[in-house]
Amino acid sequence: MENEIINLLIVDDEERFLLTTKKLLEKKGIHTHTATSGTAGFEVLESNPVDVVVLDVKMPGMSGMGVLKKIKKEFPDIEVIMLTGHATVQSAVGGIKFGAFDYIMKPCDIDVLAGKIREAYSKKMKSAAGGE
Amino acid sequence: MKNIWGWFSKKRSVENEDCDVEVEYLRLNFKARYHSFKLLISANNKSLENMADIERALLGKEVFGMGFIKSRVTAIAVSVFSMISHLKTITGGKYPELEPSFFRIEQEIAKVLSPKKNAEDPRLVIPFKDVEPGMAYLVGEKMDHAAEVKNKLGLIVPEGFAITSTAYELFMKENKLQSEIERIIQSAGPDSKGPFDILSSRIRSLILESKIPDALEQSVREQWEALERAKGKKVRLALRSSAMGEDSKENSFAGQYRSELNVAWEGVFDAYKEVVASKYSVKAISYKLNRGVRDEDIAMCVGCMEMVDAVAGGVAYSRNPVDPDDESVYINAALGLPKSVVDGQDTCDLFVVSRAVTYDVMPARLYDKEPLDFVMVSQKEPELNIRADVREKQYQVACLETEGVHRTEIRVDKRNEPALSDEKIRELFSLVIRIENYYNCPQDIEWALDRDGRLFILQCRPLKQTSFRPQTNDDAVVPRVAPIVDTGITASPGAGYGEVCHVSKRADILQFPEGAVLVVEQALPAWASLINRASAVVSEQGSFAGHLANVAREFHVPALFAVKDAMKLLTPGDLVTVDADSMAVYPGKHDELLQNKVRERNLMAGSPVFEALKHVSEHIVHLHLLNPESKDFTPENCTTYHDITRFIHEKSVNEMFQFGKENHFTERSSKQLHYVVPMKWWILNLDDGFSQEVQGKYVKIEHIVSIPMLAFWKGFTAIPWDGPPPLDGKGFAAVMFQSTAQPALVTSMPSKFADRNYFMLSKNYCSLNSRLGYHFATMEALVGDRAGENYVNFQFKGGAADFERKMKRVYFIGELLERYGFRVDVRQDNLSARLEGYDREYMEKRLQVLGYLTLHTRQLDMIMTNSSRVVYYREKMIKDIDKLLAA
Repeated sequence: MENEIINLLIVDDEERFLLTTKKLLEKKGIHTHTATSGTAGFEVLESNPVDVVVLDVKMPGMSGMGVLKKIKKEFPDIEVIMLTGHATVQSAVGGIKFGAFDYIMKPCDIDVLAGKIREAYSKKMKSAAGGE
Repeated sequence: MKNIWGWFSKKRSVENEDCDVEVEYLRLNFKARYHSFKLLISANNKSLENMADIERALLGKEVFGMGFIKSRVTAIAVSVFSMISHLKTITGGKYPELEPSFFRIEQEIAKVLSPKKNAEDPRLVIPFKDVEPGMAYLVGEKMDHAAEVKNKLGLIVPEGFAITSTAYELFMKENKLQSEIERIIQSAGPDSKGPFDILSSRIRSLILESKIPDALEQSVREQWEALERAKGKKVRLALRSSAMGEDSKENSFAGQYRSELNVAWEGVFDAYKEVVASKYSVKAISYKLNRGVRDEDIAMCVGCMEMVDAVAGGVAYSRNPVDPDDESVYINAALGLPKSVVDGQDTCDLFVVSRAVTYDVMPARLYDKEPLDFVMVSQKEPELNIRADVREKQYQVACLETEGVHRTEIRVDKRNEPALSDEKIRELFSLVIRIENYYNCPQDIEWALDRDGRLFILQCRPLKQTSFRPQTNDDAVVPRVAPIVDTGITASPGAGYGEVCHVSKRADILQFPEGAVLVVEQALPAWASLINRASAVVSEQGSFAGHLANVAREFHVPALFAVKDAMKLLTPGDLVTVDADSMAVYPGKHDELLQNKVRERNLMAGSPVFEALKHVSEHIVHLHLLNPESKDFTPENCTTYHDITRFIHEKSVNEMFQFGKENHFTERSSKQLHYVVPMKWWILNLDDGFSQEVQGKYVKIEHIVSIPMLAFWKGFTAIPWDGPPPLDGKGFAAVMFQSTAQPALVTSMPSKFADRNYFMLSKNYCSLNSRLGYHFATMEALVGDRAGENYVNFQFKGGAADFERKMKRVYFIGELLERYGFRVDVRQDNLSARLEGYDREYMEKRLQVLGYLTLHTRQLDMIMTNSSRVVYYREKMIKDIDKLLAA
């Protein structure tokens, strides 16, 4: 699976974080789109194949949780990893409850993030193969 | 999943079903369950790892903050919730009561973690005259005490008002600061132990750039104008931090927060924000972390006091802070503002006033080797015995004409004058005693003397005394080497050993090695963030009244101050032993000094953060559901996250095991095992159990890659079976009787017992249903490189002999399995054995044991009443198995 190209979308309002993370993930062979808001994120989803979304919980405009619900409704096959700088049980469990694959806390090690993205991708592939 | 399962079950009941479709659904079903099970086990492991982190933290050996607790609690909650979801998938929603239990526990935890709610009081500012004792929740401890001393004891405290915790909350809320600050703190990582420079600077900038709410601005303006009207002139104020929990008995926060001195109206709100922002100074962040203080519970109140343009000032201790048996009052005094004493910047005078009413000679001073100039201050009031240590004072801090303060040189002819006259020492002594008597505990009091000779009390707080027994000459330990340093003041008792590290600028803090001896020129509060990393502190300047000395005592770090030329005498990189008690520094390590002096630093115990973790752990790590067989082993009875994980783990393994038992497949869909010759074993490959596509009727053992199946097979084929044990007359009769009574036991009879032995397998999974002779064995195993997911479940039932013999065989097997590490449960003639969580090699060996026993216990029930034969077989089997395991 290391060699498979994973299409990723990161939605976060911190542009610097987006730039750095994109650069590092691309080096690891993860094809990364970025968006600074939920609305911009949906534009990417509508015009590109995406396997996994990494989504900041706290964003101006549509909240991360709102974006998650909408993704799960409109693109149920996409796996979502919630990214949070201030994890609380409610927000993290809420994310899982609404179908997020997992959550990860900022700042995160790039290898941990990449590992989590691969796990999410693997789940997506298994689901697509009729696993669940 | 549920739909597939339901559909599949229905499908199974239809006769003449299409075998290929059936197998395909079996495979799909297996994959889904297997995948969910792996995710469940992985979540289980994660939650247990995080629980272990919590248990380690509860030992109190390391410092941790609320970030640590929140991150672990969140991680555990997410893992546990994921486990609930995965179990739902595996069982088709069998245990709906788990979710309510989960949310009940979550709510209990949230109660512990939510910030303390302060009593609601709408006032944003309160004049000191209106502050009642016990209003610390509104004005902070420091201002509560100052107002109490003023209003109840009638002592002179500068006029002013407090900006309340309500105002602080309004300021934070209007600027949406709290969540942003939490986000920044979290971004440093939940386990961060510093350095906190970047974090601090980001938060402080955020606060300094924030807007003062209009209502607060208006309230402060009204108070300021009222003060000016009362004074009949323009006033300058000192803005002092008065945070919640500051100056309490447990934590002094000495010098951790900022005071802004000599502030004019134009600068008041910038000064307010500076004081609020000081809650997040590097030293305050690390102090809170090291003392286990919950940041979210601290509202920063600010005291606005009229500025005293002092000619002298300092700190008075109502007792000796390093010797609870010494009842003398210790007055540290500097010329000018008291700032130079509290900041430990400059040398100051020390006056020790005895409570004794005679001229008796005072006990030897403990904290200074230098002989003192004894000054008999007064002949009129002989009851006071005062010793003065008047030092040369080169600098003082004074108010600037415009705003703020500055450090200036003292005229040469004034440098050696005492900072306080005899009369003022006596007056201050009496104030100190009054305050101590009022609070009924030792006090640490900041005072100032104005140009009109009035003594002001600026603040008072409980004095923390460190228990320190001076060594008498008899038991003094003196190393046989010459000391590098043999002077100074014991600012904090004890002895420490480490590498000398000079620190003179902020950048040096980042390079400071853990456990080094901190050597500085001035005992500045800025170095407080290093205290917990230092084994000892040596400073050229400072007294035991400074903030750094206070913090060193709180952290039990030995500190030796006023060591002339310490920076020259102690070379960076040298290893030294600092004996603060004897005021000496020796080259090398001297265990005789360090013995009994190295204090266990369990600073977390009893702290708010530690207490929070303790309470949270009661809802997380405690395990109440111990016995899966108990009627109380239910989802409703899960009162901790650990209970839930235990319950789910148990049920998930059971459910997985049911898979092999509940699903059967026809011969056509499977391959017959070819091992030397075709065997009476059929194999269904569920996923990746074969190394290659297998054509035809047979599969050779070398084409099977299932780890658990191969291990089982290795044990099964390791030692040939000797054949059925020779029957004695009684055993034979028993078998004959059972065969007649139960026709199904006769293998030629068509019955469900005539089903063949079969394996269902994948690379890491294997399920076996076997009938060898007259008994039935089922085995299921998951074995791979992730130990946490590994398990073996084995069940054994039946036999041809009577019940007693069957029972005996079951116990016989159970005993052997226990010997090799299985958990065994026997009910009637039904044995079940389990093993889980071991690494691959261990699991493979145990599967070999099962393989061996499956073959070699055939028909053994028939000899079970013959004790000598039983002993023979037991010994033989143990010998065989040990040989097998040793191979």
